[in-house]
Formats: sequence, C-alpha cells, structure tokens
Amino acid sequence: MDTQPVIVFTDVTKIYPLDAGDVVALDHLSFEIQRGEFIAIMGPSGSGKSTLLNMIGCLDVPTSGDVIIDGKNIRTMTDDQLTELRRDVLGFIFQQFNLILLLNALENVQYPLILKTGETGCTDRCKEVLAAVGLTSDLWHHRPGQLSGGQQQRVAIARALVNDPEIMLCDEPTGNLDTKTGTAIMQLLTRLCREQGKTIVMVTHDPRTAEYADRVIMIEDGRIKEEA
Amino acid sequence: MSSHRLFFGLAIRNLQIHWLRSLLAAIGIIIGVVAISSMGILGNSLVLSVSDSLTDVGDSVVVTPHISFQGMTSTGTDKRITDRQLEQIRRASGNNEVVPVYAGGDRIRIGREILAASIYGVNPQDIPTLLNLETGQFLRGASGVMVGAKIAKENNLAVGSRILVGDEEAGVRVVGILAERGMGFDISPDYAIIASDQWYKDFYDVRGYDQVIVKVRNLKDIDQVKNSIDAQLNRRETEVNVYDTKAILETILETFGRISTFTMAIGGISLIVAGVSIFNVMMMSVMERYREIGILRSIGTKRAEVRSMFIYESLILGVSGSIIGGVLSFLGGYAAIAVMLQETSYLFAFSSLIQIPYGMIFGVATSILSGLYPAWKASDLRPIDALRHE
Repeated sequence: MDTQPVIVFTDVTKIYPLDAGDVVALDHLSFEIQRGEFIAIMGPSGSGKSTLLNMIGCLDVPTSGDVIIDGKNIRTMTDDQLTELRRDVLGFIFQQFNLILLLNALENVQYPLILKTGETGCTDRCKEVLAAVGLTSDLWHHRPGQLSGGQQQRVAIARALVNDPEIMLCDEPTGNLDTKTGTAIMQLLTRLCREQGKTIVMVTHDPRTAEYADRVIMIEDGRIKEEA
Repeated sequence: MSSHRLFFGLAIRNLQIHWLRSLLAAIGIIIGVVAISSMGILGNSLVLSVSDSLTDVGDSVVVTPHISFQGMTSTGTDKRITDRQLEQIRRASGNNEVVPVYAGGDRIRIGREILAASIYGVNPQDIPTLLNLETGQFLRGASGVMVGAKIAKENNLAVGSRILVGDEEAGVRVVGILAERGMGFDISPDYAIIASDQWYKDFYDVRGYDQVIVKVRNLKDIDQVKNSIDAQLNRRETEVNVYDTKAILETILETFGRISTFTMAIGGISLIVAGVSIFNVMMMSVMERYREIGILRSIGTKRAEVRSMFIYESLILGVSGSIIGGVLSFLGGYAAIAVMLQETSYLFAFSSLIQIPYGMIFGVATSILSGLYPAWKASDLRPIDALRHE
C-alpha cells in the first residue's frame, strides 16, 4: 500500500483581492491527509473551509504555497490537466446535489465515465454503482426533478464513485436532507471509506455529521485552529 | 468520438427544452437562406434570361460611322460608310467575311394593320452569313423580302404574304421567314424586314452604308481585327466607331452579374439578422446555464468539450434551418422567377440550382460564427465562479 499522503498542503495562502481590501481566505496553511482517511473540516462561516475544499478539488489554486494532490502539484498544472485530475482522481458530492438536469439518473452517472473512457455503452458499471448506493432500478431513468433529495444525493454519490476516484470531496452532503436520509448517506460514505479505502474530505457545520470522520480539522480565519 | 456524441446529445436536449426560442432562431436562418438563395436564383435567372434574349453572336466586329457630339448637338448623324471605307475594312479584316448593311425604320402596313418596323438592306448573298432561315427561302434577287420570326408570328405573316412599305406603300412579297435570333448588337431581325441592298438603295435613295459587320472566323482574332480596322480608318481622325459584340455581351452580362450579387447581398442582410438572433439565443443559453457549466467543469469536462457542446447547438440550429431553407429556396426561387420573368425553366440551370447550396453554406457558416463567442464565453468560465452562480 502507498504510504505517501494523498493530500499535502504546504504553507498555502489564498488571497482574494477585493475593492474593499484583500481577503485572506487561507493563511499559511499546512497539513497532510493520508490515503483512506475520513476527514471532516469544520469552522464558522467565512473561516475558509470551502476555499480549502475547492483547492483540494482543483477548482481553485493557491496564491502561494503548494498543494499536492495524489503526488501532483496543482500550481504547475494546466487547466486540462486539472480537469483530468478532477475527472480521474476526485469525486465531488455537493450540498445542492448538482446533478445535470438534462440527464436522467443513469445518464448522470454515465457522464463522467464517458468523459474518461470515451465509450457510451458503459451502462453495466453505472448500474452496479447505482445499485451499490441503494438507488432502486425503477428510479434509474428518472430526471433529477423527479427524485427526492436523498435519491438525488445517492445519484450524486454514484456519479462521484463511477470513475473509482482516490478522493471524495463532500460539501455539506447532508445539508439538504432530513435526519434519517442524512444518516443513511453518512453510513454509505463511511462504508465507502472503510470497505473501498476511499479518502473522504467532508466540509460540515454539523458536529453529529463530523462524528463519522476519523479526524476533524477546525478552521478559523483561514488557519487550523485545532485537529482532533 | 463518443464524448462528441455525448455533447451532441446534450445540445439536442437543451434545444428541445427551449424549443420555442430554438425554433425562432432556426426560422431566422430559414428566412436568411431563402432570401439569399432565392435572390441568387432570381439574379442568375435574370442573367440567363438576358443572355438568351441577346443573340449569341459574340463573333462580330461592328463598324458604324462616327458621330461626334459638340455641346448639345451632334454632328455627322447623316454620315454613312463609303465604298472607300468599306474597301479599307475589307483589307483590314483579312479573310473574314465583311457584310455591309443598310439599316433604318419605316411605317409598314400588313392588311389593315399599320405598324413601325426596322428595315435592313443586305446583299442577298450575305444574308445566310448573318441569319438563319425558318421557312421559305433566302432572297435571291432584288425583289421580295424576308421577315423576322416575331413580326411574322404576331401578324400572321407567311411565305407569300404581302407587306406595304413606307408612305408610298410599295408592295413587297415575303419569300422567307427567319429563325428567331434575339436582340443583337449588329442587327435585330426578329421584328424587322430584310430586303436586298439593291431594293433598299433604290427605295430610300441612299449612298453609303449604316454599318458594316465583320464575322470573325476565329474568336481569338477578334481584337486583332478590331484594332486593324481602327488603325486603318481612324488614323488621322475618327471616321468610324469600331466595337466587338463579344465585349459588349461581356459588359452587359457583367452588369447583370453585379445586379445579381447586389440582390444576394440584400438577402445576406436577413442572414446577418438571423446570425444576431442565434448569437442572442446562445448567449441566453450560456447565461442561464452558468451553474450547469460549473457542474460539468467540476466533474471533469474540459474547456474544449464545453465549447463543443455550445457549438453543436448553433450548428444544429444552422443545419436544420439551412436544410429547410434550402427546400423552401427552391420554391421561393421558382415563385420569384415566375413572377419576375414569367419563365421558370431557368430555375433548373446548374448556375441557378447551385445558389441553394451556396445559401445553405452561408446559413451554416453564419450559425457557427454566431455561436463561437458564446461557446468561448461558456468554456472560459472558471468552474468555481460558475458553481457559485445562482
């Protein structure tokens, strides 16, 4: 097994230049996340936790410092290389589910797989993943608008999983779900971490959700306040 | 290839969801293609029509007496080409056939009908050089006349019919009817009477010819013959005007070609309007889908792939609009030339039909061009900004 950390932040600073003055979202942040870890990032609004998640997700780049994802420094990568990293190594799960409204559940899961393999006939793998996340086959051809929040989040998790990513990034994954559905989703994520060895990085406000994580990183004013 | 199929499918679905505005944008392209192609067909048919109505003689050099204009008056309108000048023309023309022609107009009576007609006097031996016979026979001597196809048809003239010419109503008998020839730059016989040179000279008491036609055997020699005549006769002063029918034909066809281009340009304006419409639809599509673009980018869609999705949308609008427009152009072109020219056979000429694919190509190109900026705008969005967009 690879013992190298899968995510490495070294003295990372992110500054947003605004007319009213620069905003320091991340302030000389350094930490490491090992493969197969389940990490919860917590902190008050504006603390920088979403910026941190976006940076791990290669959606944003640091102003200074280095971010290494799966051995690659994202500061030196082109837009296409970052996109490929998101496609192949990272899986996103959003609070708003962010499914593609034009596509049904099965097609939403197929989408990243087609991007990766270039093959449109790859439905078996998608059905397998949808079944694994607990979405019954009668819902596979439903559009997102025809699914409940919990069902949409399961589709989103299946979409994140379909390319077998190393890291799964979850932004408030239970934020739009009722308690029962939220619990089921968290149990599913925990199972993915334990059974499939996925590295999970989750941003949450909810301490009960954070309890599922192996380690909690508290952020405040762009700095790590404490790790537990 | 398959990811292209994926983005093509997404483009179709998006157009289907916004079917009304997609339809309106496609209608814009349809109108543009119909306008540009129909105008092209009409313009080309106009050129063909003019070419047909003008005689096909592009092989003649025509020499006429020089008329100079001094102030508001012209001098030399009674000038004619003399026998000496005719001889010089013959020498300058080498072994090409030289046909001197008397030309004028007079009142004629056919039965009870009185009308005006052109009257030409030509040596009977030269008539077959200039004209073709439809029925009857060519003139053999000084008596008798030949008549043009249209004057014969419209006045029921046949071989043996009698025509009274001039105020003195001198009677002449029709011996032959000419084949239709169209308007010519040398002579226009369709509404004319062709008499012998001897009859014309005696009847109108004229000396000297109104024009001399040189039929050039080899078209390559036409400029040389023209220059040679010009050099012989206009050495000291301008005695005659020399022009070749080929150059005139080319000038006229070029003029009508320009008119055709102009009418197509008017059609092109509607295509530009259609392009603006597609641009507008695509920009709306991009702005409404900021968040979707963010999602696509965040899950691994490259810029070029986002770009291709939007270009497919404009391409689908352009191709579908152009195909429908192409079909309607055929009908539009048919209607336009039926109304304007009362003759629809020109539609089936290759040079007319080719206007339809031209229009379609313009339609597709306009659509793609109109979609380029919105597609670039969509692909250039930062995924993080697009995801934050509400």
